[in-house]
Amino acid sequence: MTDVVVASDVARSYGDIVALDGVSLTVGEGDVLGLVGPNGAGKTTLVRALTGTTNAEGTVRLFGEPPQSVDRSRIGLLPQSFDPPARLSARELLTYYGGLYDDPRETAAVLADVGLTDTAETAYEDLSGGQKRRVCVGVALINDPDLLVLDEPTTGIDPAGRRAVWQLLEELTDSGTTIVLTTHYMAEVERLADRVGLLADGTLLALDSPNALIERYGERPRLVIDLPDEVTETPSIGFETVVRDEQLVVQDVSPTEIGTVVDRLTAAGVEPASLAWREPDMEDVYLDIADTAVGYSGDPIDPAELDAGSPVRADGGDQ
Amino acid sequence: MSRTGRLRASFRAAALSFLRRRTAVFFTFLFPLLIVLIFGALIETGAGGGGLFAEPPGYYVPGYLATVVLFTPLSRVGSEVARHRDGNRFEKLATTPLRRWEWLFAQTLVNVAVIGLAALLLLALLVAVTGAEIVLSLWLIPFVVAGVALFCGIGALIGALADSQDGVIAISNAIALPLLFLSETFAPPSLLPAWFRPALELSPLTYFSRGVRAATFDSTGDPLANLAILLGLAILALGIGALALPRTD
Repeated sequence: MTDVVVASDVARSYGDIVALDGVSLTVGEGDVLGLVGPNGAGKTTLVRALTGTTNAEGTVRLFGEPPQSVDRSRIGLLPQSFDPPARLSARELLTYYGGLYDDPRETAAVLADVGLTDTAETAYEDLSGGQKRRVCVGVALINDPDLLVLDEPTTGIDPAGRRAVWQLLEELTDSGTTIVLTTHYMAEVERLADRVGLLADGTLLALDSPNALIERYGERPRLVIDLPDEVTETPSIGFETVVRDEQLVVQDVSPTEIGTVVDRLTAAGVEPASLAWREPDMEDVYLDIADTAVGYSGDPIDPAELDAGSPVRADGGDQ
Repeated sequence: MSRTGRLRASFRAAALSFLRRRTAVFFTFLFPLLIVLIFGALIETGAGGGGLFAEPPGYYVPGYLATVVLFTPLSRVGSEVARHRDGNRFEKLATTPLRRWEWLFAQTLVNVAVIGLAALLLLALLVAVTGAEIVLSLWLIPFVVAGVALFCGIGALIGALADSQDGVIAISNAIALPLLFLSETFAPPSLLPAWFRPALELSPLTYFSRGVRAATFDSTGDPLANLAILLGLAILALGIGALALPRTD
């Protein structure tokens, strides 16, 4: 597979603040790379480095060329917090940005893609937050790019609108478009991304498929049970259990074992108030890695201290 | 299409954005008219008649025109640059085929069209209200075009250097007000102290005033020489302004 994006040892500092610290990755043709990480992790700086809109150290190649030299009609960028001219309508904005290219898509088709046909004549400033973001996604699509770079494309969009955008992006990847996107929605990368890069403090801590990351970093399947107030001791039921916040967490439980757990609890005199079974997901991975790396309440730590594994290279292998 | 298409798309978007801003339209068309009504009609004007304006009304035509040629491009283009930067629009444009100079050129064309229209209205009102006896010379066209282009370039530079739209307005006013009154517009050099008169040569608006006055009121002047200087300064300002536009973060 041809690599559309190749980044090697990309670094960017703003004074004493290190925004990116030697990030290397590749994105193959037709692949979706999702970038996640806490605020200030370096996601937007990495997007800017990949698109040549920041002066980063290291090497970036898009379609084998430096970002500044590549045919710009092949790239579609949605910058973070993008705010186009507010007094133009959705249709006028797409026509404007489409007019910057030699062979843009039909404006009406893009409006339909982002679900804004009915509000095409409404001024951008009068649209809802979600509609505005969909206009911005449309602006990124207007030149029918081979590489789509989206910095938080679904922020502010309601769940139904978000799923519509996801479906649109899936259709694009089916037709061979390569996508790099940043997001705070773990469900977004789980659904869309072939590989997920987790950034914290400018460092790429992990890069692999969602399933591989979940397998490596996620917790085991578990049953979370709300205990009645009168239960003060942890019952012994033959499974590994932990009590957290008045909840009994039974580890490593498969769906077929749920009945067994309930039976044993009942036999031990505990009637569960409610219960929920959870599989590990990207949110667990994110919280585990980001919390360990950044500490949220403390100073950053060395990535090597991650207890569940060390950072991985772009090809997914351990460093 | 390529460049022509990019310029056309940018021109159309900039023009629509401009015309839909009520305050921008007000200050472009009505503010200069108010100036004419106040200074041309209310305050007594007449040769040798005393008062604030001692010269014949035709002498002040360059000054009145300067209010639109100077203020609007400075504040409009400067604010537009700040808006583009704040909304990450330059980041987006940097990944499109549009070049920075093309963006500034489109903005300049919009300003030329709008200010050209405002200048026409201003001239008509001047003649009607003050009875100014002027020659409606074709020289006015290149002078307005060059003057607008010059201050669009300076406006772009201000927008790139200022850290906010408020900063753009403050810097624009700080530059425009002294230029408006100290560029042989309203005050003849003879009213200024001798030591200050050489400073008039440093104001680009001086060449606009001299040229427009030579073309419309005082035929002893040389419109061509002043236009050449103004054009040179306009090209320089547009070049520097385009280079100053944000390309990266």
